[in-house]
Amino acid sequence: MTMLKIENLHVRVAGKEILKGLSLEVKPGEVHAIMGPNGAGKSTLGYVLAGRDGYETTQGRIEYDGKNLLDLEPEARAAAGMFLAFQYPVEIPGVNNTYFLKAALNAQRKARGESELDSMQFLKLVREKLAVLHLKEDLLNRAVNAGFSGGEKKRNEIFQMALLEPRLAILDETDSGLDIDALKMVADGVNAMRAPDRAFVVITHYQRLLDYIVPDFVHVLADGRIVESGDASLALRLEEHGYAWIAQRKLAGAA
Amino acid sequence: MDGLLDEFGSGDAQARAESWRYSRQALRALEQQSFQSADANVSVPQALIDRFDWPQTRGHRLVFVNGVLDATLSDAGTSGAIIETDAVGVHALRFAGKGVMHLVFVNVATAMPSRWNAAVHIRVESGKAFLVEQHVGMQGADMLGALASDFTIADGASLQTATLGDLPGSASLVRRVGVTIGAGSAFGATHALCGGRFQRFDIDAQLTGAKAQLAARGVFALRGREHVDVHLDVRHAARDTISDVLWRGVADGRARGILHGAITVAPGADGADARLETKNLLLSPHAEIDAQPVLEIYADEVKASHGATVGQLDERALFYLRSRGVPLAAARNLLIAGFCRTAFSRIETTDLRGPFEALLDAHLPQQVDAGE
Ligand SMILES: Nc1ncnc2c1ncn2[C@@H]1O[C@H](COP(=O)(O)OP(=O)(O)OP(=O)(O)O)[C@@H](O)[C@H]1O
Ligand SMILES: [Mg+2]
Repeated sequence: MTMLKIENLHVRVAGKEILKGLSLEVKPGEVHAIMGPNGAGKSTLGYVLAGRDGYETTQGRIEYDGKNLLDLEPEARAAAGMFLAFQYPVEIPGVNNTYFLKAALNAQRKARGESELDSMQFLKLVREKLAVLHLKEDLLNRAVNAGFSGGEKKRNEIFQMALLEPRLAILDETDSGLDIDALKMVADGVNAMRAPDRAFVVITHYQRLLDYIVPDFVHVLADGRIVESGDASLALRLEEHGYAWIAQRKLAGAA
Repeated sequence: MDGLLDEFGSGDAQARAESWRYSRQALRALEQQSFQSADANVSVPQALIDRFDWPQTRGHRLVFVNGVLDATLSDAGTSGAIIETDAVGVHALRFAGKGVMHLVFVNVATAMPSRWNAAVHIRVESGKAFLVEQHVGMQGADMLGALASDFTIADGASLQTATLGDLPGSASLVRRVGVTIGAGSAFGATHALCGGRFQRFDIDAQLTGAKAQLAARGVFALRGREHVDVHLDVRHAARDTISDVLWRGVADGRARGILHGAITVAPGADGADARLETKNLLLSPHAEIDAQPVLEIYADEVKASHGATVGQLDERALFYLRSRGVPLAAARNLLIAGFCRTAFSRIETTDLRGPFEALLDAHLPQQVDAGE
């Protein structure tokens, strides 16, 4: 029972091939960590999954719940439970955070044939989720991410995730730029949501996050494909030896 | 025949031609029509009354119907203003101490194309006055309204204005205001201009006393073939004066918007601080916005900055909203409305945010994909 199945994915951005035969399978309940050098294509993978324009799939396929994910518009993917926490959350001046989140949640519910929440129900839910992340309520009355500090932006992403309750959450470097307390809050937020029917793909550069969110699998993404997969101990070995170690092992294996 | 240009333009022939160059065609089209003097003895439909009959300004309201003060619709008993009308129908409002006034200009179309003229002088002698100016109308035979105002803010006083241009496609408006801002006094203005066939807004502001301040905010949100031409002329004529202009423009269809923002720091106006920022959004390949900041500085120790951009909806922001589940059309509307709303951040009474936001929502320009 696979939730996400990526097979031999090739993706081109602005005329350049970025993903070059990437394969990955994620089952419900699993947490996958993806590590890899800068520019390897990690964020590209996140964008392709979430459906950003301008990412052209030239080969391969992505199945989500047994359906062709690439057929769906970004909003339909969200309604089907896909969530991307952005590496660089977008500032949107003039658009109120609460208003946006209510519109988003209700649009998803409507698309799934569920009843929409009224303002009271929505606020109750918001307060619940805010408490978990220790976010200040006044962030909600501000424009989306506008003037938020780096850490506030990242926590706001996790807050949105908590509110929208996706089935597959991709966290793109959510730990970058967080102080130690915020890192723990984010990890707590994620761990509180771990469930048999929910999966996470956690993109990170640092083993530290994986001390708190212990992954079932760790993958190394380099030059557009997964070059190594293992259990949580792979992250520790990477921390010790760096990515060059993988390249050397590959060379040794090939010789 | 340069009839309307002579009437509405100022300065010599060359200055007039320059100032009206983007709207000369619109003016010519109006000149081709024969307008008769508008009848003020018309009944105002209830639907129109509902648009300006706000509970928060009852007792603070003057209503002009086709340019003429209407006694039955007006009630300014608690506005705090002294109101005088001279023999030719020019109205003078004087505020001393706290005052709130809601001026409504109603365009009621008659059988034939018609036009009106009105003049209002406003003087704030002390304290803080708040002025709402609202232009509304109903679709019908063409109308052309011309409003000439001047605002004088005495030393140490403050005038905050909120202007809502909410016109039907058959109405045109030429509105010229001269503002004189005295020493240590403040003028604030927020505008939302929507609808209409043609709207021209001239604001000529003089910072005449030391430490005088001006903050002008505004948005035009234009659809179809609407045409709005805004000219802001700010002149720093005294020391340590501050001006801050922020404008947003959005246009869809074949709409046309012009924002001309000229700031002059006169000789001797040392220590002036002038800022002008305009951002504009084009939602269709046939829409056009001209944003022209002009800065002329003849004094010392002046801080000045200006910026003008014209662009499209931010693809990253659109994707961000959609990735959270907001459908494409709704996401676009959120971004367009949000873009406009950044111009309303200075509206002081939260009472007024509502009418501004409602006006925008009712007139929100749309982005439609080719083939949709
Ligand atoms: N729009 C674009 N135009 C051109 N090149 C692009 C574009 N978007 C991404 N790239 C390139 O694709 C490659 C992969 O980028 P991506 O953001 O996926 O890397 P990453 O693995 O997330 O890196 P990091 O760890 O630094 O976040 C980079 O070389 C990047 O410059
Ligand atoms: Mg990245």
